[in-house]
Amino acid sequence: MLTTVLQQLINGLSAGSLYALVAIGYTMVYGVLRMINFAHGDILMVGAYLAFFGISAFMLPWWVSFITAIILTGFVGVLVEKLAYKPIRNASRVSLLITAVGVSFFLENLFLVLFGGVPKAFPIAPIFHGVLNYNQLYLPVVSIYTPIVALVLLYMLLYILHHTKYGMAMRSIALDIDTTSLMGINVDIVISLVFFLGSSLAAVGGILWSTQYPSINPLMGIMPGLKAFAAAVLGGIGDVAGAAIGGLILGISEVLIVAFFPSLAGYKDAFAFLLLILVLLFKPTGIMGKELERKRF
Amino acid sequence: MKRNTILTILSIILLFVFLYYASHHFSRYTIIILNNIAITMILAVSYNLINGITGQFSLAPNGFAAVGAYTAALLSLTPAQKQAMFIIDPIMPFLGSIHLPFLAALIVAGLVTAFFGFILGFPVFRTRGDYLAIVTLGFGIVIDIVANNAITITNGPLGLKGISNYTNVWWSYGWLVFTIFVVMSIINSNYGRAMKAIRDDEDAAVAMGINTFKMKMIAFVVGAFFQGVAGGLLAHLITTISPTLFTFFLTFNLLVIIVMGGLGSITGTVIATIVIVWGSELLRVFDQPMHIFGITTPGIPGLRMIIFALLLILTMLFAREGIMGKKEFSWDWLFNAIKGGIKNGK
Amino acid sequence: MENNILVCEHITMKFGGLVALNDVSLNVTKSSITGLIGPNGAGKTTMFNVITCNLKPTLGNIFFEGKNITGFKPYKIVPLGMARTFQNIRLFENLTVLENIMIGFAHKVKYRLFEPILKTPKFLNQEKEIKIKAFELLEKVNLKEKAYLKATGLSYGEQRKVEIARALATSPKLLLLDEPAAGMNPSEKIALMYFIKEIKDSFNLTILLIEHDMKFVMGICQKIYVLDYGAKIAEGTPEEIQKNPKVIAAYLGEANVKG
Repeated sequence: MLTTVLQQLINGLSAGSLYALVAIGYTMVYGVLRMINFAHGDILMVGAYLAFFGISAFMLPWWVSFITAIILTGFVGVLVEKLAYKPIRNASRVSLLITAVGVSFFLENLFLVLFGGVPKAFPIAPIFHGVLNYNQLYLPVVSIYTPIVALVLLYMLLYILHHTKYGMAMRSIALDIDTTSLMGINVDIVISLVFFLGSSLAAVGGILWSTQYPSINPLMGIMPGLKAFAAAVLGGIGDVAGAAIGGLILGISEVLIVAFFPSLAGYKDAFAFLLLILVLLFKPTGIMGKELERKRF
Repeated sequence: MKRNTILTILSIILLFVFLYYASHHFSRYTIIILNNIAITMILAVSYNLINGITGQFSLAPNGFAAVGAYTAALLSLTPAQKQAMFIIDPIMPFLGSIHLPFLAALIVAGLVTAFFGFILGFPVFRTRGDYLAIVTLGFGIVIDIVANNAITITNGPLGLKGISNYTNVWWSYGWLVFTIFVVMSIINSNYGRAMKAIRDDEDAAVAMGINTFKMKMIAFVVGAFFQGVAGGLLAHLITTISPTLFTFFLTFNLLVIIVMGGLGSITGTVIATIVIVWGSELLRVFDQPMHIFGITTPGIPGLRMIIFALLLILTMLFAREGIMGKKEFSWDWLFNAIKGGIKNGK
Repeated sequence: MENNILVCEHITMKFGGLVALNDVSLNVTKSSITGLIGPNGAGKTTMFNVITCNLKPTLGNIFFEGKNITGFKPYKIVPLGMARTFQNIRLFENLTVLENIMIGFAHKVKYRLFEPILKTPKFLNQEKEIKIKAFELLEKVNLKEKAYLKATGLSYGEQRKVEIARALATSPKLLLLDEPAAGMNPSEKIALMYFIKEIKDSFNLTILLIEHDMKFVMGICQKIYVLDYGAKIAEGTPEEIQKNPKVIAAYLGEANVKG
């Protein structure tokens, strides 16, 4: 019994770390622009495809391919912001949301047309190979790496936010974009940086995700995107640490529910949605969120 | 006032005369497109009530249409048909035995969908923020999961077959006229003014004593009712429904329509529906292999979607007001325009 | 006491660790014009948001006509007879001037959702009545000929008037004006002063206003409260306030910072 629980907990931790990586991007963009970036889940997909092509088509070593994919995905995020969101930054929020939905749909269908809808097998990097076997505990190496990678990246991000000039500027924009721009901070650069960081993290999430399930398809980003958003709301939208905690809670509770109620397995993907509704009903500001209008990040 | 009412009634009669002619002389294919236009228009007009008039961004229509389609189909199928169809697991006893005439099935479908709208709206409208969008997006996905898994209700991935082909131009255009009438009546009342006030400035609307929760809920639930009815009409037009029918593409299509027509303009929605439904039929050429100047290109089925996505993004970037902005057609406007035209002619 | 239309007792408002209002008490006498002044960031607008129930105070109570309204939903205080305007004019920009005013009558509408659909006499009569009353109001503020223009097509001063007229349409007993003279030149300010006095008499109002401009406040208010850093530092008649050393220090301090 104990081993089962432990096994499930580790699986949940691994899934939760993935949600956390994606949720951070949502929460950062919401923080600075107060918009739900519907395309964020699809950015994850782009990251996975870039890594896939790096290894399969360009025959790059896995780590070169991963790093290139992560950086390129960051730039894809910046490009999306520059082309689609920036021109209407001052329009109504509904306009921004509609555009984001448009970008999401565009990316999905562009990849469908270019690479087809059939799932492709994702090559597993050598370090992620194998399963640790300890006392009836079966631990795929990747589910041990995932939380560690997530934790390291979260630490780095929080460091950037709290100890660098650009990090402070991000937090300041989150509080009040107009005043920040008056203080001589180049808001455009900071927003680009937010999209770069958020999209890169999504790419990391996408690569780890594809390694765990080992296949990719153009619609793969939808579900993790939606779940990660629920996680971000659970943690308190706008709060980076909250997003990470929300991701972990979501990942662990999903795994545990399926473990203890196997008959609900088919509904596993609906759980995040139920959680989102419950959070909105009982604590709309989330676990870490305080005053939505005042505190961000 | 009197003159305008008479003109409106006359144009509705004219529409039905046209439909009478069409149903006797047009091809089956054209009739299906005509029905398609009416059902899409019902969906789009009721969708604009929450998105364009009230300014709350919903992505619910595919989920709502699915609820309406399944409800109406389950109610109009005969018990014998249902018994025969549910081969994986038998249907729930109550659903298995119930049987209603078409109109009653549609109304119940609308009411059930409206109830779902209430359940969704309740947590969302109590909070500020854009949660409606993500909650309704999630709703569409959950409905898909439920349709695939709740086999004793939905027959799972197999879907429902042999639904009677009740929907014809009379049913679809009858409901369309009714939908537009109800939505316009709400818009041109204190309720509609309050909804527009919420769209323009929610804080100021609250400061005017408007119960924003109630107004958003009314817009959302009324829209849900008609989207449920439209789903029921659709089920009885194509006679076979399955979870794959109600994907996000349905909602996306409607979003393109209301944005192109002008968020907040019912007139614009009507025009854009005709353009988009017809245009999307024309764009089907991309799905098939093409022969241009002796070169054969393979069919690219997803290209239509890319074109729609680009259309939406470009409209938002460069023509945010769409065709009509927030303006509505009115007879007074038409007469003034004609008068102006005559004057200018002299 | 009975003569006070609004009583705020020991209002404290905290946001996280930040204390925006610290134990502020104030009374507004019926039929008076009362001013709430203070340097930037003193907590004036926060106080307005607390009074209009947009914020629930951390501590303290608000009484309107003797009724404790603390924690009410903000839209529910309008029918009680309290209306407000905003610091930066907030009109419904896609609606006409007339429709903006008609929104002010919204909370009094009695007909139900099905009535506009069935075009019941109740619906038709109330709509007609609202329209007539809205026109009457527009006539009083001299904007009748602009009724069918978009609200955003008006000049700044006219927009301010529409905003006040919209608040008047709710039939308030107490009108809260948040920096009504902001962004106006001296002659516009004088015209606005007369306008406020005029509507106070013709609509039988009590007015509480926030203002930055000392001259404006001194010329119009019978009683003034002064806030600084979220605390009340003075209250009294304009003469008393002008002489109060704390008030002078607060304003001089600000001038130094700005200078």
